[in-house]
Amino acid sequence: MEAFAVSLGVHIYLVKAIIMFIIAALSVTFMAVISGLTTWFERRIAGRMQSRIGPNRVGPQGLLQFVADAVKLFMKEDLIPKGADRLLFKMSPYLCMIGVFAPFVVLPWGMGIIAADLNVGVLYLISITALVVVGTLMAGWGSNNKWSLLGGMRSAAQIVSYEIPVAMGLLPSILFAGSLSMIGLMNAQGWAPWQWSAFQNPFTMIAFLIFFTGSLAEGNRVPFDLPEAESELVSGFNTEYSGFRFAVYFLAEWANLYVIGALTTAVFLGGGNLPEALQPYWYLSIFLFLLKTFFIMFVIIWLRWTLPRFRIDQLMDLSWKYLLPLSFIAFFGQAVYMLIDHQFPVIDMVTGPIMFLIFLLVLLKFFYRVAINFREQNKTVNTRA
Amino acid sequence: MSEITTQSKDRYFNNLVNGVKTVFEGMSITLASFFTRPVTVQYPEADISTDQTIQDNYKGPLSGMPPNYRGILNVDMSICTACTLCMKACPIDCIYLETVKCEKVTVIGKDGNEENKVRTCSIFKIDIGKCMFCGLCTIPCKPGSIYHTNRFEMNTQSLDKLVLSFVDDDSRQQILLKGMELDAIAEAKKKEKQALADKKAAEEQAVSKKTDKEKEPSTTDDKDNQ
Repeated sequence: MEAFAVSLGVHIYLVKAIIMFIIAALSVTFMAVISGLTTWFERRIAGRMQSRIGPNRVGPQGLLQFVADAVKLFMKEDLIPKGADRLLFKMSPYLCMIGVFAPFVVLPWGMGIIAADLNVGVLYLISITALVVVGTLMAGWGSNNKWSLLGGMRSAAQIVSYEIPVAMGLLPSILFAGSLSMIGLMNAQGWAPWQWSAFQNPFTMIAFLIFFTGSLAEGNRVPFDLPEAESELVSGFNTEYSGFRFAVYFLAEWANLYVIGALTTAVFLGGGNLPEALQPYWYLSIFLFLLKTFFIMFVIIWLRWTLPRFRIDQLMDLSWKYLLPLSFIAFFGQAVYMLIDHQFPVIDMVTGPIMFLIFLLVLLKFFYRVAINFREQNKTVNTRA
Repeated sequence: MSEITTQSKDRYFNNLVNGVKTVFEGMSITLASFFTRPVTVQYPEADISTDQTIQDNYKGPLSGMPPNYRGILNVDMSICTACTLCMKACPIDCIYLETVKCEKVTVIGKDGNEENKVRTCSIFKIDIGKCMFCGLCTIPCKPGSIYHTNRFEMNTQSLDKLVLSFVDDDSRQQILLKGMELDAIAEAKKKEKQALADKKAAEEQAVSKKTDKEKEPSTTDDKDNQ
């Protein structure tokens, strides 16, 4: 396409700029729609988990609820509190949004489908998401409100603490793949579950769980939603925001959910890798990738409606006393495993299937518990006393 | 010293294991409730008074309001005697009625007492938009024709639709015609009576004149009076 345009006499930089613009517009549009749909998805799931129905009025099954919400928010007055630091107050939502939008540069969509395959992809992603800290801190400071300030401070402390377990949790996979680029990490895994890096050996499994927990905390999701703890700090750093700026915060929050899901999928759950026979059908790989991502998003939402919130000291305990040592163990274990694997390549063939088998057994036990709970709840919820 | 360290070590690992276990169990509970049927009854759409499946399955109260609930007013026109006491009792004048004559009937009120009905309503309107459900109109009503139902659902798009009319247009025409007929009859009867009375009076006068002629002195008295 580029060459064709150049042959028509268009300047090469112009062509590149146009292509960049198209890709950026596509990503941003996709993200806006996805984060909107996720609000609906989350509210429906929350409803079902609490024996309610959830929003089902606007559009088919309430699918267009997010459009109604957005229109409502745009109609609201845009207030800036008295005594606020106007520049910081106005800038903060956009910084938060950039911190969540920017990872889309390196997030893959399927096998080899990516906006830009940076050779430092994962590093870029970890560092660019830290912009959110700056955003929340600025919002807290700029609002001239003690609740906002407390929320912003907590948010900064939380994200800074959890950066370390998250990065350490990614390391075993990076060690295994020998690459920091997203495509490299995806290609190091196979299509089958026992070839995914999450099930490769016990250490990557631990790393996967640590990474997952840590990214929940980084995304300010329940059970780590301390920056906006409603019961303690009115609404945290976004207390003073209204209208469009508030909408931007929410856009960022739910887009972040997708970012976490996509990153987990790409690094730990085999991305959009297809079996050999299916590889010509590249669109299947996009479908598979999105499916896995949405499943992870579902798990995150599911966790939110299961667990109560941590106290701030418990949150710090979890990060520094539990996740960090465990992530060191995982990292060290993976290094030793790689050494052994280098000498006896057979071990690689064995650990994967065994780990996957153990996972299946745990899953079986889990569904057994679900069945028992389901029977009890049906009795208590849906039948007359 | 060593005891303390082993204790804290135990606690450390217990915390880890407990954390994983409780998350496991908690998630199984929420997934189970994810698959259970929602208990929500989508009320204005689901007709709770007739839908049998809802009535069988729903755990909460569905029978509606208690019998002494002061809901939207209703009037039983068949036993209304058009006494207009309710209109006079209403403190905010939300009841409006006009009466015409009707054939005399005896109605049996709700308490079993008989009431005579000689007039009927050609217009009986209650503005529910104004009504404050105080129940003062139901107290003076002897046959108990105006009463509170336990209905409360009456949302409309305009205030006009909140005005309840208990006499429809067709029967109003009939009632008015009948009333005019009865009025005409009554008028005729009255005239007849009047004519009769006049005749009688005239006759009496004639008789008295006759007697007057016989009694001369009294007529002179009359002339003096005039």
